[in-house]
Amino acid sequence: MTPEQIGFKAAFAQDPDSLIACPACDTLHILDPVSAGQTAYCTCCGFKLIAPKANTFDRTIALAVTSAILMIAVLSFPFLKMSKSGLSHEASILDIIFGLAHGWYNLLAFAVAMFVVTLPMARAGALVYVLWALKHHRVPYRAKEVFLFAERLNPWAMSEIFIIGTGVALVKVAGLATISFGKAFWLYCLLVLIIGLKNAALCRWTVWSLIRKAPT
Amino acid sequence: MTRATDLDWVGCHTCGSVHHPDTQHCRTCGAHLHARLPHSLQKVWAWLITGVLFLIPANIYPLLSNLILGHEEGHTILEGVVIFFQTGDYFVALVIFVASLLIPFVKILIIGFLVLSIQFGWQLSEHTRLLLYEFVEFIGRWSMIDVFVVALLTGLVNLGAVISILPGAGAICFALSVICTMISAQCIDSKLIWDTGKGPKHD
Repeated sequence: MTPEQIGFKAAFAQDPDSLIACPACDTLHILDPVSAGQTAYCTCCGFKLIAPKANTFDRTIALAVTSAILMIAVLSFPFLKMSKSGLSHEASILDIIFGLAHGWYNLLAFAVAMFVVTLPMARAGALVYVLWALKHHRVPYRAKEVFLFAERLNPWAMSEIFIIGTGVALVKVAGLATISFGKAFWLYCLLVLIIGLKNAALCRWTVWSLIRKAPT
Repeated sequence: MTRATDLDWVGCHTCGSVHHPDTQHCRTCGAHLHARLPHSLQKVWAWLITGVLFLIPANIYPLLSNLILGHEEGHTILEGVVIFFQTGDYFVALVIFVASLLIPFVKILIIGFLVLSIQFGWQLSEHTRLLLYEFVEFIGRWSMIDVFVVALLTGLVNLGAVISILPGAGAICFALSVICTMISAQCIDSKLIWDTGKGPKHD
């Protein structure tokens, strides 16, 4: 057994929470205090282990609430506008979803509704639920499940991909009809930015270590 | 470099907490604990093969069809790229080619290569594998672009017989293929990348 391994054994016997095994590669590390703004990376694979942020709860909650308000605005304004030989047609994201909702197109409508509207909002809601209570030094009911759910949702919230898709849609039919962006498109771009900032403001490890202290 | 398995401990896949091997649930995040995700590579193969099967009809059937003054015309992904290339829209042709043809195929090849290299312990540096893994994790979602394009155009361009765009059977197969390969990539237990040649045996 190497001296390093003996060190890990001693640390584990004293307090298992003083160790972290990289979730990506399983390499063990002894935790040193990381101050706000600094980032601790895995020494083996470079995975971001700990990245505490100043006012992480306030910022994440504020940005999550902002994204919910923006989403309401996005849904109530026209997203795209098309015109062809004098006829024109405006559609909000909801119009587009409900316009698709018949026959097997329902599957497409469902995919758009989930990936573009529901999942980003579900994640924001789950984060506010957990962080609001943690901010007030409480651990909410089923905090573990809710935060785990929010984490698992992350790859399925596809706002930024939707924006690029909109751009491609625009050029793809350029020859057939004239399409232009509505107000909601620009609001949705802002929403993508807010969601990005929100994800960057959140340190998962900080949240987990606070949830851990809850009585199970 | 000491890893949790080297000391017979189990590191949580979600939050990184270290546990005794007989613990069932993580004390920090409540996730199910496994030294290595059970049947990780089998699941990867199952989802990947499903994704490949969906990709075949996705490229045979039209992605969407234009209905202009009662005349319907549908194009598959490849036909779409060729048409844009011929009309001189090289940029659009390139975006569609990359997002809808190149990425899905390259992703499937890389996942297959990565899993084979883990299963057969191919001589490949761990960092090359990590790079491939991060690449498929990152790139997978971007193929959804074309699905959104189809949904947007169908929802927007519907002026009845004058001009309408209808989704084709290829669109839904393409969406399912992207979803299956995304799940496949998520099933890869990245801890296996460092396991080859040593540590516990995997399936």
